[in-house]
Amino acid sequence: MINQKIVVLLACSWALAISSVTGHGSTALAQQKPPATSSRTTPDFAALSDAAEKARQEGRNDDAIRLYRQGLSVQPDWKQGLWFLGMLLYEKEQYAEVRDLMRRFVAVEPLAGPGWALLGLSEFQTREYPRSLEHLQHVRAIGLGKQQEMSEALFYHVSVLLTRFEQYDAAMTLLMGLRKSGSSPDLLVEPIGLSALRYPLLPSEIPPARKEMFRLAGEAALADESNRRDEAEKLFSAMAAEFPNEPGVHFLFGVFLLDVRPDDGIREIQRELVIVPYNLTAKLRLADEYLKEEKFDDALRLASEVVQLDPQNPSGFMVLGEALVAKNDLDRGIAALETSRKLRPETVRTHWDLLRAYTSAGRAKDAKREKEEIEQILHPVASQ
Amino acid sequence: MFAAISLFVLLSLPHPAFPDTPQKSFEAIAREADAARQADHLIDALKLYSEAVHLHPTWADGWWWLGSILYEQDRFSEAQASFKRFIALSPKPAPAYAFLALCEYETQDYALALHHFELWSNAHSPGKGALLDVASFHWALLLTRAGRFNEALFILAAKAKQRETAPVLTEAIGLASLRMAFLPEDYPPERRESVWLAGMAEVYNAQSESRLSDAYAERLLSHYGQEPNVHYFRGILLRFQGNEDSAAEEFQKELEISPRHVPALTEWAASRLEAGYDSEALSLAKRAIEIDPQSARAHYILGRALLETGSFHESAQELEIAKRLAPESSRVRFALSTAYKRLGRKQDSEREQAAFLALKDKDNVLAPLGDKFKAPQATEHPQ
Repeated sequence: MINQKIVVLLACSWALAISSVTGHGSTALAQQKPPATSSRTTPDFAALSDAAEKARQEGRNDDAIRLYRQGLSVQPDWKQGLWFLGMLLYEKEQYAEVRDLMRRFVAVEPLAGPGWALLGLSEFQTREYPRSLEHLQHVRAIGLGKQQEMSEALFYHVSVLLTRFEQYDAAMTLLMGLRKSGSSPDLLVEPIGLSALRYPLLPSEIPPARKEMFRLAGEAALADESNRRDEAEKLFSAMAAEFPNEPGVHFLFGVFLLDVRPDDGIREIQRELVIVPYNLTAKLRLADEYLKEEKFDDALRLASEVVQLDPQNPSGFMVLGEALVAKNDLDRGIAALETSRKLRPETVRTHWDLLRAYTSAGRAKDAKREKEEIEQILHPVASQ
Repeated sequence: MFAAISLFVLLSLPHPAFPDTPQKSFEAIAREADAARQADHLIDALKLYSEAVHLHPTWADGWWWLGSILYEQDRFSEAQASFKRFIALSPKPAPAYAFLALCEYETQDYALALHHFELWSNAHSPGKGALLDVASFHWALLLTRAGRFNEALFILAAKAKQRETAPVLTEAIGLASLRMAFLPEDYPPERRESVWLAGMAEVYNAQSESRLSDAYAERLLSHYGQEPNVHYFRGILLRFQGNEDSAAEEFQKELEISPRHVPALTEWAASRLEAGYDSEALSLAKRAIEIDPQSARAHYILGRALLETGSFHESAQELEIAKRLAPESSRVRFALSTAYKRLGRKQDSEREQAAFLALKDKDNVLAPLGDKFKAPQATEHPQ
């Protein structure tokens, strides 16, 4: 579905594709200096270029493809040729060739967001997922220029790839953003279900027997996001009843319940830990809840288990440090929090924890530094 | 960085093939190309290097930088051509073999890529850092595709042991662990979850995190226990943990699903041998050889089982076959040395002992073949 939409969007003009770079449309482009390869330009090229353009505008796509190819054999850096041939071939699902054309296109037009987008989307189709994600993320950094219509396709693909690369929280943020921007829930249900249940799969990779599980999870998460709590609970409950032994199910339901009925939430997460005793995310969430309820020993036990199983887990050290500080074990608490800060310096909560812990320990200078760090993270420009 | 010939040395040499004016022109272009590259003006650098090598086709450094920039821009077929020219011109092209193979991987010339990775491995300067990492990873992917799963796992598990936990590594390890002769780009999408679960189990196994490894392996079994290679993989993990009886059960289950699964039969035999059930091991290894007479490991296990049962002559025969099929295996050499010793063939035994010492600790597929028979490093016996 999303791919059909891309094909329609690609019927955009050359002007839109390139205008993010030059700020000009095709007229301005025609007035640009010829590229350095112009020494190889022959009168035939101009004729080919005109014929290709005419064929494309008249919808004679096969002729246009042939003519663009001929033109590119004369002038390999011909930007319009690369772009339109790529567009026409994408429509014909010849993704490997589009990918190669767009690699050449972005090499000569490195700031053309739509070019990088078409490259990343083609790589998605050829299943070169790491490269696809890298290039689509690059588009997010440089922008799509005036071709904002492509943004839904861009964000959708980035989010499903983030899930596949186990960056579930970032994926979920993008997916919920897409929903708020008006994307169809039908498009988003499965990706949200996958991300919520923390399965590194694309929607096309969902095992058929558990499609319903991901659908229920996705619909429930969407209902929750829209504050339709009763509907969300019914859906989560149905998911847990139908798939009681699947990893992730009770954790997801439990996290939802923590906000509604914390005791039930704790029970669900405990069920999760019976099914998957080493679900570190569940252990941490539970430890966090115990901290809130001032059950410091329970929190300490779970956080200790997490860092023992995964000594590189920054959240584990953060919760461990919080529990230790709460039990007045300042030295060990500060040490754990400092480990967390070292592993993931951008987490504001760790800096707040350290600020408070240093203050309690009478380390005013260290506390001041943490405050500055917080400022730097929250207001990076202002603090420069 | 990897250029074998210094640009400055090269530029200081007069080139008899070119008359004065073009030579100057070449020098100027080469300087401009280098300056553009150093200033990160890659589009300009690309054009200038192209012009320079057009003027002076034997300029090795020019081909190197041209290939490198094209590679950087993911223009692999063009980069491939440049690296080929560099290799033809350079006396020490080792790192370029890796780049060439990486380009060939991208252009789907997989057989050539595998060949060039092997040339890279056999050369003595494979490069370091990112090149070593990326090239060895892609080599492992191709070994998996070629069905050389153990070699692939040797490379990949070494990365996992260093606590690398990238999802691409997990996927590659999953494919090799489940003996799926595919690349990450082309395996059936419906196998994705099983590949991920197997990959996680093996990553944690490599990191000696057996509880986490078991958790993923059990998830794999619960959904994919009827798929080929899943019980075999579980058996391998259990053997790694020293749980020979449970491993044997898993190999047996695998054979119910895949009756001609030679690795399962062989590992079951190895497991029985380890547990002291020599005659059982003997019979299983014979079954494996009946199905695949070219299995070096099956001949090795049979040879060891025969050694344990006192059939020294037959043992030596089997181990000689294993040696012919896997000349680099230190374990085969040690067992053969023992068999010869029991037969009173002192000289042969000493020769195999020396080979064992030379090969020991060099099972690493990245070690050049020539190196494997050099300088013995230890005198311990194999596990």
